Amino acid sequence: MNVVATAAREGKLTGDQCFRLLARLWTLKRMMYYVYGGWAQGINLNEYPPTVAYLFGRQTYDESTHEMQFCDEILKRRWARTQRQLFDHPYGRFGTATRTGAYVFCLRALANYPHNIRIAALNLGPKVIELVWTESFANSLRDEGLRALFSSQQPETLSHVLMGKLQAERFLQKSIDIELARRLSAETRRDYLFFLEETARFVLGLEEEKGEVTVSADID
Amino acid sequence: MDMPGLKIDHERCTECRMCYVVCREININAVVVSSTARHFLEIDERCIYPKCTVCLMYCPAEGSIVETVSGKSMVPPPAEVWTENRRWPRIP
Repeated sequence: MNVVATAAREGKLTGDQCFRLLARLWTLKRMMYYVYGGWAQGINLNEYPPTVAYLFGRQTYDESTHEMQFCDEILKRRWARTQRQLFDHPYGRFGTATRTGAYVFCLRALANYPHNIRIAALNLGPKVIELVWTESFANSLRDEGLRALFSSQQPETLSHVLMGKLQAERFLQKSIDIELARRLSAETRRDYLFFLEETARFVLGLEEEKGEVTVSADID
Repeated sequence: MDMPGLKIDHERCTECRMCYVVCREININAVVVSSTARHFLEIDERCIYPKCTVCLMYCPAEGSIVETVSGKSMVPPPAEVWTENRRWPRIP
């Protein structure tokens, strides 16, 4: 994403490339409904203090806000005429055999773990990276509307990171849980970086890597 | 651009997002999330009020949508806007 940010800073990002970027980010954000839906089913009543459930609800709401913002911006700029068109558009379509799909399914699979472990994995892994690159975009983009969009998302993403920190500190007690959270965080971080790389290549029109790609998640 | 006929009173709005959902549903897309830190919902110039009053029909928070010019509260919707043909306008 650094390459995309550099292109943005130099004013080389075309309208079509911005559309590709927003559409791909929108695709991920809307898939978070699917992820969090699965996670919410795994929260048992009275398992955690009500604040944990509230903060999780808040995070779901925030992701929804971001998804709405991306879609709003695309529709406002008439890159797609309706939301339905955007769902069908090649830029906004969700593909299962993609890195976006791999990341989403990786997150969805975390529904099998206790809430504190999976929230630590997401919020102390990919969310930290998201915070950094959105900040970089907010500072790089020349387009005022897009700059405002990315900088307005910063407070929520930061609050998600802080929530991950709170949950890890308060509810991860056993060493086995701590180790598990660490491994899952590394895995989700790796898959998120895969997603970002795919997105950057897609935005800039670079050729995709062929064949099987293996990257260490620094867990062994 | 014309000024939208309706605006949201953020003192009363509960941010339930029903206006956003229905406006998006009928492809007018005039209700947007603002790119400010608070992410208020706003109504932009794509609003075709009084031809469409769908957001007023679904808004649960009294007084949260007002007429821009007169400042008159439109929630709950007054009788003159409560008509079937205005509820679901035909969009070209």
